[in-house]
Amino acid sequence: MFAKESGLLQGTVELLVLKTLSWGPMHGYGIASWIESATDDVLRVEEGSLYPALYRMVKKGWIEGEWGLSDNNRRAKYYQLTREGRRQLAEQSKGWARLAAAVTQAVSTTQAPAWAR
Amino acid sequence: MDGRSKRRWYRIFKPDPRTEVEDELAFHLEQRVQDYIARGLDPDAARAAAEQRMGSVERVRSECTDLLTSERRRERRRDGLQLSWLDFKLGFRMLSRYPGLTIVGGIAMAFAIWVGAGTFEVINQLVFPKLPLPDGDRVVAIQNWDVSLGRHEDRMVHDYLSWKGQLQAVTDLGAFRTIERNLAVEQRSPEPIGLAEISASAFPLTRVNPLLGRTLTVADEQPGAPAVVVIGYDVWQRRFDADPAVVGRIVRLGNAPATVVGVMPKGFAFPVSHDAWVPLRLNRNEAAREGPGILVFGRLAPGASLADAQAELRTVGQRASTSSPTTHQHLRPQVKAFAKAIMPNIFGSWVLSFNLFVVMLVVLVCGNVALLMFARASSRESEIVVRNALGASRGRIVTQLFAEALVLGAVAAVVGLAAHRAGLRWALLTADSQIRGGLPFWFQGSLSLPTLLYSAGLTLLGATIAGVIPALKVTRGLQSRLRESAAGGGGMRFGGIWTAIIVAQIAVTLAFPATAFFVRREMAEFETRITEAGFPAERWLTAQLRLDREGPNGQPISDADFDAQLQKSWQALERRLEADPAVAGVTYANRLPLMYHPYRLIELDSGEAAPLDPRWPGYRVSSAAIEPAFFDKLGTPLLEGRNFTHADIESGQSVIIVNKKFVDLVLGGRNAIGRRLRFTHFEEWGSPRSSDDQPWYEIIGVAPDLGTEAFTHDPKVARIHHPATPNSAYPFQIAVQVKGDPKSYAQSFRQIAASVDPSLRLHEITPLNEVSNGDVALLRFWFRLVLAVSGVALLLSLAAIYAVMAFTVSRRTREIGIRSALGGSRRRILASVFARPIAQIGGGILAGVVLVGLLGSAIAGGMLSVRETAALVGYALLMSAVCALACFVPARRALSIQPTEAFRTDG
Repeated sequence: MFAKESGLLQGTVELLVLKTLSWGPMHGYGIASWIESATDDVLRVEEGSLYPALYRMVKKGWIEGEWGLSDNNRRAKYYQLTREGRRQLAEQSKGWARLAAAVTQAVSTTQAPAWAR
Repeated sequence: MDGRSKRRWYRIFKPDPRTEVEDELAFHLEQRVQDYIARGLDPDAARAAAEQRMGSVERVRSECTDLLTSERRRERRRDGLQLSWLDFKLGFRMLSRYPGLTIVGGIAMAFAIWVGAGTFEVINQLVFPKLPLPDGDRVVAIQNWDVSLGRHEDRMVHDYLSWKGQLQAVTDLGAFRTIERNLAVEQRSPEPIGLAEISASAFPLTRVNPLLGRTLTVADEQPGAPAVVVIGYDVWQRRFDADPAVVGRIVRLGNAPATVVGVMPKGFAFPVSHDAWVPLRLNRNEAAREGPGILVFGRLAPGASLADAQAELRTVGQRASTSSPTTHQHLRPQVKAFAKAIMPNIFGSWVLSFNLFVVMLVVLVCGNVALLMFARASSRESEIVVRNALGASRGRIVTQLFAEALVLGAVAAVVGLAAHRAGLRWALLTADSQIRGGLPFWFQGSLSLPTLLYSAGLTLLGATIAGVIPALKVTRGLQSRLRESAAGGGGMRFGGIWTAIIVAQIAVTLAFPATAFFVRREMAEFETRITEAGFPAERWLTAQLRLDREGPNGQPISDADFDAQLQKSWQALERRLEADPAVAGVTYANRLPLMYHPYRLIELDSGEAAPLDPRWPGYRVSSAAIEPAFFDKLGTPLLEGRNFTHADIESGQSVIIVNKKFVDLVLGGRNAIGRRLRFTHFEEWGSPRSSDDQPWYEIIGVAPDLGTEAFTHDPKVARIHHPATPNSAYPFQIAVQVKGDPKSYAQSFRQIAASVDPSLRLHEITPLNEVSNGDVALLRFWFRLVLAVSGVALLLSLAAIYAVMAFTVSRRTREIGIRSALGGSRRRILASVFARPIAQIGGGILAGVVLVGLLGSAIAGGMLSVRETAALVGYALLMSAVCALACFVPARRALSIQPTEAFRTDG
């Protein structure tokens, strides 16, 4: 659903990953599943954008990965937030709320612009 | 390993990025399949659906791999070669896990660091002497350099007095000169001490307060002021038994009485190594370049640098040069750090060669430790390969092994430095006893910061050699080895270079004890030379006799007065000694047998002679000036001809007596009496001169051979003797034959000399058979050092040889196991295992024998004796046994294991 090239939406994936990991360490598949269920399957995260995003975030120092065991006893790489990641989550959530509110306000307004009157 | 350290381990040894990404994506796909199955799809359909949803993973994979790789690179840059605490902890664990290597390698490295630090400290103190005084680096000396003569002009009383009023950049200006006097305290026999005639300003300059009483004052320097002396701590302890009421006591210094006014604290010996201090009284009207030689000192004024002082002195010097060109035209005043002016110049090349020696020693020792570490690293090969497979970079592994070597080196450094203090103290004490007047006071037996840093540098160098080189070798081609060992193949091998190293190692190891043999033999030779005096030297007590050159008022005595005084005092002393019932005889000579004699080159008259030694452009002989009745008094009468008579001296006859060796070596055993010779070269001349103006001497007698000095490469030297009076031989050696123990006569000897003339000084009273003890002690030290080096070398070499041999054989475990399983005879298998090591040992021993032969011909003494050869053969056998054991133990193990097991082993 998200086009990788879109800067805005790439930021959105990162925000969603940060939010997911704020609940605790999780592997890539778990992150994708949670986002899908949390958005009632509205947002479907493609592997093609999820994994590069995860590796980029590791590089930026927002999250870190560590190999562990999954519920069904398979080796899986678990990601968790770093201190910097937590800070990013707080900041980006605020930014997103402002953006969403602005977009909502614009989209839901009933007042026509001057040129339409 | 607990969970925490496992996690840390993981952090250090991360897997390969591509594998990691693949594993992660594979897990993702598998989860999706499970998910679909849970939603009711059958497994095949679930897999197909999941794969379809994943789409092409190649792009994702390569993008993620790139990102992870660059992240890894960044991490490595950040902490790749950084040593972590874990590395050191592992290093310490390795120390206890491999105690053999720890002990052998540790001892070797400690020894190398001990020698290195000791050498560095001594050199450092020689080249960069530091005065242990408050602001000692600001104490300077001023000297006058004569550019036309190329030497210092030390008659500078005139200049000193004029500088005193002029110089701004140097304060507390003072001067001193060294004199020797008998210090006579009531109830005790007088002994000579080193006195400084010194300006009162020396004491405020050093900022050292007296322990008792006061220091010298300006008033003491005035003409007619009462004679006073400030004594040093050692003199106070030894001569006054630390008398707390010493201040005010009256002593005699040579001919004159003086009152003790103060005692200086322990260790104070300013300006150089002085025992006591008396006021320096100078003639205020001394003409330029006249009067006694002095050295001027001072302290840089606050804020002034050495360069400022030099600039000021240059101006002052130029002014003097213009105003009094006759005396000052060629004089250039120079200011230097005080100790630098006292010490001889040490050249940079010296320091370099010493450092080179030390670095070579460290490299050699650590090269051996590297061999041990390599063998150990090899035995941990599988661990290293696995770590690498888990993602540890080569750099990480090398760093880890370096840390292990560093830990070993650090432990060794602590041991080496602890031993260093003792060694340095000993070296300084030896030097102090060897140098007349003692070592300057700024030589200290303590460790300086530069030495500590230098030792740290040596440790790092050692750890690099012992850790990094084997690590690089072990980690080379790790990737391919992983495949090999997975496929059941090879592993590391020692190549041709290691064979060469082992052969060289065995050769050098064999040569070391041989060197010890040679040195020991040389020492034994020296010791026999001392006993071969040719007469009972142990019954003779010797001393160097000197007479004060200043009268009781401190003014110099004229040469004529001095000669008269010497003659008078000597005659009186000789009479008194001969009258003593404890004395059997008295004689004198400028050099006594067993002491060093200067060498001369001579030419003979036209008669027949022995062939010339091609090393010299003439016959080389040693010479001595002796009392006419010398040989009779020693109890060694002439073999031929006649003795000197006083008439020979008085008539100025050019006559000499030669020894038996002269007859053999120079005349080829022919008749000596009546033959003539003259000197072509004196050792003291430095460069050859024409012999045409030299007088001819006639041989009138042949004496038996008497002992030479212990420290000579030429013990069979011809000697000639001149007749001498005490005045012509001055300063001469006096020899007293004592009926009892010569040592116990020393006190009476001093008392008699002092009662004859208080200004007569006896230096270095020693039984004649002990005059070379200092040299022998030095030689003994050298011997011990060679022995220690040999011991460390042996230990290290044996360990290294054992480790390498055992390692090479254990590498072949699989081969041996298979051959044994295929029914190969044990004997043949063992023979093939032993073939290579035996060839190596054989080659090494052969090379060693050649080396020993070369050493033997280079060092005087030639071939080894039967006993020494037997010892070397025994040693070679021991070495072979060690090698055999090193091969046998792993070979036996390999033979006894099951073939199936053999396949599973690493090697």
